[in-house]
Amino acid sequence: MALGRFVLKRALQGIVVVWGVVTVVFGLRFITPGNPISVIAPLDASPETRQAIARELGLNDPLYVQYLDYLLGLLQGDMGYSYISNTQASAQVFARLPATLELAVVATIVAVVISIPLGVLSATRRNEPADYGATLFSLAGISTPNFWLGIMLVLVFAVQLEIFKTSGRGPGFVSALSMLVTQGSAAGLLSWLSYITLPALALGTYFTALITRLTRSGMLDELGSAYVKAVRAKGLPETLVRYKHALRNTLVPVITVLGLQLGTLIGGAVITEAVFDWPGLGTLVITSITARDWPILQGSLVVIGVGFVLINIAVDTLYAYVNPQVVYE
Amino acid sequence: MISPRTLGNLRREFRSSALAKLGVLIVVVVVGVAVLAPMFAPHDPTTQNLDRSQLPPVGFSTTTNSTSTEMVNGSLEVINETNEINATLTYPLGTDSLGRGMLSRVIYGARTSLLVGLLGTILAAVVGVSVGLVAGYYRGRVDDTLMRSADVMLAFPSLVLAIALVGLWGRAAWRVPDPLVVAGITPEMPASFVLPGTVIVVVGLVNWVWFARVARGEALSVREQSYVKAARSVGASNSFIIRRHILPNSATPILVLGTIQVAAIILLESALSFLGFSGTTLSWGFDIARGRDYLASSWWISTVPGIAIVLSVIGINLLGDWLRDALDPGIGGEGGSGGA
Repeated sequence: MALGRFVLKRALQGIVVVWGVVTVVFGLRFITPGNPISVIAPLDASPETRQAIARELGLNDPLYVQYLDYLLGLLQGDMGYSYISNTQASAQVFARLPATLELAVVATIVAVVISIPLGVLSATRRNEPADYGATLFSLAGISTPNFWLGIMLVLVFAVQLEIFKTSGRGPGFVSALSMLVTQGSAAGLLSWLSYITLPALALGTYFTALITRLTRSGMLDELGSAYVKAVRAKGLPETLVRYKHALRNTLVPVITVLGLQLGTLIGGAVITEAVFDWPGLGTLVITSITARDWPILQGSLVVIGVGFVLINIAVDTLYAYVNPQVVYE
Repeated sequence: MISPRTLGNLRREFRSSALAKLGVLIVVVVVGVAVLAPMFAPHDPTTQNLDRSQLPPVGFSTTTNSTSTEMVNGSLEVINETNEINATLTYPLGTDSLGRGMLSRVIYGARTSLLVGLLGTILAAVVGVSVGLVAGYYRGRVDDTLMRSADVMLAFPSLVLAIALVGLWGRAAWRVPDPLVVAGITPEMPASFVLPGTVIVVVGLVNWVWFARVARGEALSVREQSYVKAARSVGASNSFIIRRHILPNSATPILVLGTIQVAAIILLESALSFLGFSGTTLSWGFDIARGRDYLASSWWISTVPGIAIVLSVIGINLLGDWLRDALDPGIGGEGGSGGA
């Protein structure tokens, strides 16, 4: 039951971190110049109107009351109302979540599927052309800003070759899939692919490059280690040595770094969304900052923070499962 | 702090690795170009010249055929026009939509990127190393509190937090006089250089966590060494031990991390200025954003600054790889919060 206790402990730590996230997000408004009333009220609003708005938002309450109100609201899923459209902030934020998740998941899948075989190939053919190619690719990949890569992809595949779409999301994966199931038509999926391919490539390349690098150096370490020599001496086929023994141990540090870099993935999604007008949380964050729409901005940041904590607990659990030593530390 | 053995390792690794040499070469070139920007830039990067806008880079002269109809002597005539846009050696990398030379802009952009990268990294290192050393040295409740707040920081993607902070705090910038122009060496260049202040502070504040993690790990292991125990037993104060023993022993991994962080912060700065959250318009990311509107007609406006970013970041990453391989600080792939 050590693993169960470990997960419980991580979950409790996660709650503390989430509380910290919410506190920072709440505090952000108070270290920022500008007053929410001026965002909502028309320029010629009378002092009475301004007072009414302040009362309704609770801006006259002491800070701790506002803080507790915000915490209690969040616990009930209430993020307040948008200053601009006066609709529920939580509805807007959660409406944008699927698009961002879809982009991040597809980019991660692309990255993992390409990078791990590439890293293994690179390590097992050390100092051969394949290794140089993979090393060069991964060096360029971790050094390329993904927004610029996105623009270059647009330039080549959308402006010149006119294969893919440059902006928007199209049908979304779920509706494309349901179209395939109910009508037996693949048109939805094709359309989905024409929209998501370029953003997913732009977002996924950094991770592909990073994991390739990590897998390569991890595999090289493992393949040179004593236990690999021992199983080789025992006469185990090279395929088993590589994939059952070396790769498995290589994945442990890969998972750690991936967990740490998830924030980068979400941050990268923000800017990728901006390049491709992808209707996700990232574009929502940017527009809400420009418009000073606090409830939307705070809600988005809380959702991003909570998502990050949840994914990290999942990664840590996976890590503890792969490497049982962690649990007993 | 730098022992002869360390220098020997650095030299040996440098000699055996072509990539290390390439990295050092790129970094030296980029730093040289950034420092001496007014001498290398053929034009003032801010002077507009609408007669010479959207000129292609050398080797990419274009011809476009346009057909128009016009009334000539009461009848409609079709006129075929051939427009030749010739590249000129005056603007080797072409010009942007306002006729400013791309080469000059890329050269000045190197200054912005490097200054933000270096100053941001120094700020992040000072904050992060202080927090990490204190947490790792005192352990217990201090450690828990500091490291939990580091976890909270990690829960915000650095780009998202940076966008939020710059967007909300405004885009303050300082005008710094350009020494080369003040000294009268290059009087025709802009007399001052814009340093995006908010951006530097923000990129430093969002990236300190990586330094804190590394410094804490070092402090945890060094504090158990016998010479630290000896120092404590003869009555050395905690702050003395941290400054004289723990900090110097953490220098290697912090140096390696710092190098990777300069690359990461350059990428972060380019992302911020691409989104318009910057205090200066002389920035690679800013030019990439402007060029987007002209992608179909003038692809080079977005392409050229991007290549500059990729090359400089590759150079700095290679430099980091060299230091890591030679000094072996054991920090693996942590701390590269790039990807922006």
